[in-house]
Amino acid sequence: MFGQSNVLAQGEVNFPPSVEDFYLPSIAPWGAHNNYWFTKITLMVWLAVGILILFFLLTYRKPQLVPTKKQWLAESIYGFVRNNIAVDMIGHQGVRFAPYFTTLFCFVLLTNFFAIVPFFQISPNSHIAFPALLAAISYVLFNYVGIKQHGFVKYFKNALVPPAPWYILPLLIPIEAFSTFLVRPFSLAVRLFANMFAGHMLLLVFTLGGFAMLNANALLAPVSVVSWLMTIALTFLEFLVIVLQAYVFTVLTASYVQGALAEEH
Amino acid sequence: MAGDQKPPNAGGPGDVPPGAGQGWTALSYLIAGMLVWGFIGWLVDRWLETGGVATGIGIVLGMAGGIVLVVRRLGTPQ
Repeated sequence: MFGQSNVLAQGEVNFPPSVEDFYLPSIAPWGAHNNYWFTKITLMVWLAVGILILFFLLTYRKPQLVPTKKQWLAESIYGFVRNNIAVDMIGHQGVRFAPYFTTLFCFVLLTNFFAIVPFFQISPNSHIAFPALLAAISYVLFNYVGIKQHGFVKYFKNALVPPAPWYILPLLIPIEAFSTFLVRPFSLAVRLFANMFAGHMLLLVFTLGGFAMLNANALLAPVSVVSWLMTIALTFLEFLVIVLQAYVFTVLTASYVQGALAEEH
Repeated sequence: MAGDQKPPNAGGPGDVPPGAGQGWTALSYLIAGMLVWGFIGWLVDRWLETGGVATGIGIVLGMAGGIVLVVRRLGTPQ
C-alpha cells in the first residue's frame, strides 16, 4: 500500500525490489522507526483471525436443516477438509483432527490470500515467523499424538527403526531421525514461506519494473504495459499457489499425524 | 451424488499415506540421506584431514541409505 503510492508520488522507483520491501512501516504509532509492534502484517493476521471466528460463529449460529448459502459455504469447507484431508489421510480416527485441520487450512488460505487482495497485497506468510509457528504447532501435534498413542519408547522405535536387516540400521537410523524430526518442520515452514515470498517478489518485480522502464525512457512505454499485463497474469498464478500451498500444508500435517498414529511397519 | 463418492477408506492406522504425503516423504528421505551422511563424512574429513574423500563416500552411502529407506518404508505393500 505504502510502496505503491510512493512509486506514483515520487516518480522514481527503487528497482529491483529487495527484502526491505517486506518490512512495512509501523501503523501504531504511525510511521515510527523504532517501534514495530503493530504493522500492516500484524493487522492482517488479526483480521484473518477475526474474520474466521466471525464467519464460522455466524454461519453455525442457527444451523438449518436446509442450509442457507453461508451455512452451506462453511459446511462445504469443513466437509472438504474433514472428508478429503482428515478421513482420507488418517482414516476414521481423522475425524477428531478435522476441526484443527479446518482452522489451519482456513487460516493459511486467508493469510495467503491477502497477497492478491487489493490494498493488502502482501501475505503475512511471506515473513517466516508465521509459517514457522504453524509448523511448530504441527510438529508438537504429531509428536504428541504419536507418544500418546504408542507411548514414548514405542513411538520413537516406530519412527526411527525402519523394517530392515540389522546391519544397515546404523546407516538408516540417522537418516530417519534427521528426516522425521528436523527436515519435516523445517520444510513445512520453508515451503509455505518461500512460495509466498517469491510470489510477492515476482509481482513487485513486474509492477515496479514497468515503472522503472517508463521512467528510464518514454519509448519503453509499450514494454511497461506488457510488464503490467504480466503482473495480472501472475496474479492468477499466485491465486493457484495460494490455494495449493494452504492445501499442501494441511495435507502434510495430516500425513505426519497419520504416520505418528500408524502401527509399526 | 451417491455415484461419485469414493469407496469409503477403511483407513486402518496401518494404511500407507496416499499421494502427496508419500511423495514428500520419499523426497525428504533421499535428500536427508545425502545431507546426514555427507555431514558425517565432512566431519571425518576435518578430523583425519583426508581432503574431501570421506565427504564423497558419505554422500554416496547416504544416497544408498535414502534409497533403501524409500524401498523399505514406501515400496513394500503391507
